[in-house]
Amino acid sequence: MAAKTKAKSNATKGSGSQPRQARFWLMYPPKQITSPVIWELGHKFPVVTNVRQASVTDEIGIVCLELDGKRDDVKAAITWLEKQGIKVEPVEINVIES
Amino acid sequence: MEKATGFMKALKCRECGREYPLTANHVCEFDFGPLEVVYDYDRIKIALTREVIQSRPKSMWRYRELLPIAHEPTVGREVGFTPLIKADRLARRFGIRELWIKNDTVNYPTLSFKDRVVSVALSRARELGFTTVACASTGNLANSVAANAAAAGLKAYVFIPSDLEQGKIVNSLVYGATVVAIKGHYDEVNRLCAEIAGKYQWAFVNVNMRPYYAEGSKSMGFEILEQSGWKIPKHTVVPMASGSLLTKIHKSYQEAAKLGLVSEAKYHIHGAQPTGCSPISVAQKAGLDFFKPVKPNTIAKSLAIGTPADGFYALKVMKETNGHADDVSDDLIRQGIKDLAECEGIFCETAGGVTVAVAKKLIASGRIPTNDSAVLCITGNGLKTLDAVVGHVGETREIRPSLREFEGLLEAENRSVNA
Ligand SMILES: Cc1ncc(COP(=O)(O)O)c(C=O)c1O
Ligand SMILES: [Zn+2]
Repeated sequence: MAAKTKAKSNATKGSGSQPRQARFWLMYPPKQITSPVIWELGHKFPVVTNVRQASVTDEIGIVCLELDGKRDDVKAAITWLEKQGIKVEPVEINVIES
Repeated sequence: MEKATGFMKALKCRECGREYPLTANHVCEFDFGPLEVVYDYDRIKIALTREVIQSRPKSMWRYRELLPIAHEPTVGREVGFTPLIKADRLARRFGIRELWIKNDTVNYPTLSFKDRVVSVALSRARELGFTTVACASTGNLANSVAANAAAAGLKAYVFIPSDLEQGKIVNSLVYGATVVAIKGHYDEVNRLCAEIAGKYQWAFVNVNMRPYYAEGSKSMGFEILEQSGWKIPKHTVVPMASGSLLTKIHKSYQEAAKLGLVSEAKYHIHGAQPTGCSPISVAQKAGLDFFKPVKPNTIAKSLAIGTPADGFYALKVMKETNGHADDVSDDLIRQGIKDLAECEGIFCETAGGVTVAVAKKLIASGRIPTNDSAVLCITGNGLKTLDAVVGHVGETREIRPSLREFEGLLEAENRSVNA
């Protein structure tokens, strides 16, 4: 029980309107490699974008991106990226293992 | 203070080489490259000889200087030293001179190689002062964390996707772990788990403890070397999900050679994946050094990772050792499970079926020459994936309680054997 209440109080601390910094790997399909996705993202959502690493070939674009903003804005930004056909993985990639 | 890190020196970024202290940390601040444990091999060379190893109890910890803990292990002391079996009947069936099975279907306590990585992660977590451990998993990892944490008196949180089969959930719940089922798409669940791991000061075994955790897989390689009479096998076939196990088997062979435990020799590390989730094998066959993420669709759930974290490094190992990757269909996976069961009496899970079936393919294509010898890493028990084979392994013969009917059945069987 003690653990449960503790988890709950921590959870409220970090909900929707709280600031959050998160890091993701973005994987671009070939058709998106040439579009200015990150520029657009920065204009559509109140989040600070910071590219930390990138590798782009004809086949795939991989960008490591830091997003700074309110938790809900970061979540909305991710949803928009996914709609553009971009795969968004946390920096740890497969947190869920078998 | 100096002794407090045992034979470990630091955590080091695999991309840029920057070093970090030996804390619960897994990613480089500068380029987000994965961190890896570096050791003091000069000191290990003095402390760890074949004689020392052979004088110790038969568990994975007989190689403890090469595992990332500072003191004696406190979790999973009995894990490892599973049998390496000479598989003559399977070798005959596949038409190769010699086959060996490294049999982690009987690993202690939860019947998969994950007990190796988990016991290292939890032993190290204890050293770092954690009392709560966690993981996000769809199967073997969850079971192993729940069981080993229970035995060690650690509190365990296990995160799972909400659509997981009952059987797999029971295997974690029974140990008293708090199992949290998360609804949503795989990617969302994955990101939430990453967020939780970042937020709570827990030992998340495959996230902030990953550098230590992953090293546990090396023990499988050390055991193979010792059980092969201190020789590096010419061919080793390894199943790949994230690709971590494959890279660590390679690392174990390299370390053993560097320390003089085995002599340097040419060897090949081959990787096995299910066709329904084969990003690494597809890239290897196309000669690429990167992979494209895929959406998994395979009965080999324990290998269903569409964006493998160590895929890039696994490709590098296969290139360096002139190894090959291949992948097999669900039907061939089931056939692989049957081949191993019928020839050697070992019932493996789907990941083992993948390894056996890929080995067969590599032998048939000449990638593993028929006059060579190969070791197959069989990593999990078949009782865990019964659903995958039910209805595919034959049927019972039903009779009434009559001797005549039984003898009729025997006769029919003899006729079909002789036909
Ligand atoms: C039974 C089994 N075999 C093999 C693997 C592959 O491990 P890796 O992620 O190190 O490639 C897993 C991983 O989850 C597994 O559960
Ligand atoms: Zn780095």
